Amino acid sequence: MQTQTTPPRVLGLYDEPFWRMMAESGRMHLQCCTECSTWRYPPGPACPACLSPRADWTPVSGGGELLSWVTFHKQYLPAYPAPYNVIAVRLDEGPTIISNLVTPPQGPIIGQRVALTVVRMEDGVALPRFALAD
Amino acid sequence: MTAQSRVAAVVGVGHSDWVADWHRVRAGKRPDDSYGYAATAFRNALADANMTRDQIDGLIVGPTTAYERMAEVLAMNVRWGDQADAVLSVVQACMAIETGRADVVALVYGNDQRSVGTQYGGPQAMGGDAFLSYIYHAPWGMTSQGALYALMFRRFSELYGVTERDLGQVAVAQREGSARNPHAIQRKLITLDDYMAAPYITEPLRLFDYCLINDGGVALIIAEAGLARKLSPHPVYIEAIGRYDLNTGATSLEPRLQDFYRPAQQAVAEQIFGQSGLDPSDIDVLQVYDSFSVHVPLALEGYGYCGVGESGRFMAEQGIGLAGQLPTNTSGGHLSESYMQGWNHQIECVRQARGVCGARQIEGCRRVHYTSDVAGKAVSVIYGT
Ligand SMILES: [Zn+2]
Repeated sequence: MQTQTTPPRVLGLYDEPFWRMMAESGRMHLQCCTECSTWRYPPGPACPACLSPRADWTPVSGGGELLSWVTFHKQYLPAYPAPYNVIAVRLDEGPTIISNLVTPPQGPIIGQRVALTVVRMEDGVALPRFALAD
Repeated sequence: MTAQSRVAAVVGVGHSDWVADWHRVRAGKRPDDSYGYAATAFRNALADANMTRDQIDGLIVGPTTAYERMAEVLAMNVRWGDQADAVLSVVQACMAIETGRADVVALVYGNDQRSVGTQYGGPQAMGGDAFLSYIYHAPWGMTSQGALYALMFRRFSELYGVTERDLGQVAVAQREGSARNPHAIQRKLITLDDYMAAPYITEPLRLFDYCLINDGGVALIIAEAGLARKLSPHPVYIEAIGRYDLNTGATSLEPRLQDFYRPAQQAVAEQIFGQSGLDPSDIDVLQVYDSFSVHVPLALEGYGYCGVGESGRFMAEQGIGLAGQLPTNTSGGHLSESYMQGWNHQIECVRQARGVCGARQIEGCRRVHYTSDVAGKAVSVIYGT
């Protein structure tokens, strides 16, 4: 079987540490503002709260709340045969992240707690996904 | 300083033959390129305005063609020029006229997206240079702009109880208009049952929630108001313009998922209704940028045509079809007339205000509100006679 390639990541200067630390540590790190402790996602050059450029890459708790979810019934990408889901999660640290639920979503689950789990893709990319928390 | 009302008016509109080109492209032909479609639309707009090219001193070119090449093809040397999307072109034309930079501005747009296979999802998805959210989440399989609206509608639906069947009112109502519009590509009437029976693309959105992809061009000619009265027997004035952008958290979709763009629309509503001295009950026809049906209920709520969470009931009871309380996207819009990225809506605004829409004409139409909210950038224009 052919190894599926993870769809292309946007790898700007500030994105690289996000993915490298995910692969190395198995945990998701985000920039946390050195001046005002506001968390930042996607990674970038300035704090959205105070515009400071200074930040520390800090592991997140992994907890969050499910904001929304969809099911793709059409395949767009080789690594994602339909049907598959995409979710939006508000992390406890504040930022929103788009990801997947590791089990197919069902029913009214918006607002439920979710927990981060880092999944290793076939081509070695470490991808942050979520599971419904008990 | 407050912008003035009625400083400019549309004196000419034109477009390419969307229907004929749709069939030609489906038959494997390549009828024209983006510049050619724009040139056809421009010739038709000049004819509609009964004007010649040398009467124009300003040019705005849409985002899908290069400004210089477009101007070269049309052989236009101008004293003021710009490049913008549909609604911002109207805004820029008004600002150029109001500040004396130009007296008569041509707005031209052409797009060969169907015949060249422009992708709005998948590995070659376009738009990432302007909106990072269109490509940033690809590692999770999040691609296609429709999926962004599906994510938005799921949360909206669950928070406010607006159902998938309620959303179907949009596609059904717009087919009422397109069925009576000879320029529309999809003219077959559909029912709510047809809507519900169509397959999901990205659930909760179905086939009929998605816009067409077709080739074509649009052009408008906008003149200073005094000049417009001399040039045209039926100038359509720009009564008000407004804009407010929600950019914070845009890539991770926060303006969509937390506020459904509502704060931006409310700010624009204050601008346009304040500037024109009108309120929502004075609007005869609403035109909404509808790459996806979801834009319509969000605009109804955001601009105060109904209360927050009431758009489902409003569409079902008051109605947005031709006989409804607020006829919306009367040409069929992007879903059923033509996907000209907001440009075809400007033409329909003008035609409804002129009273020349034939079987789909809204009787006594005097004021038309156009709004777009692409990626949380809310922009509105009120057109009036
Ligand atoms: Zn800060």
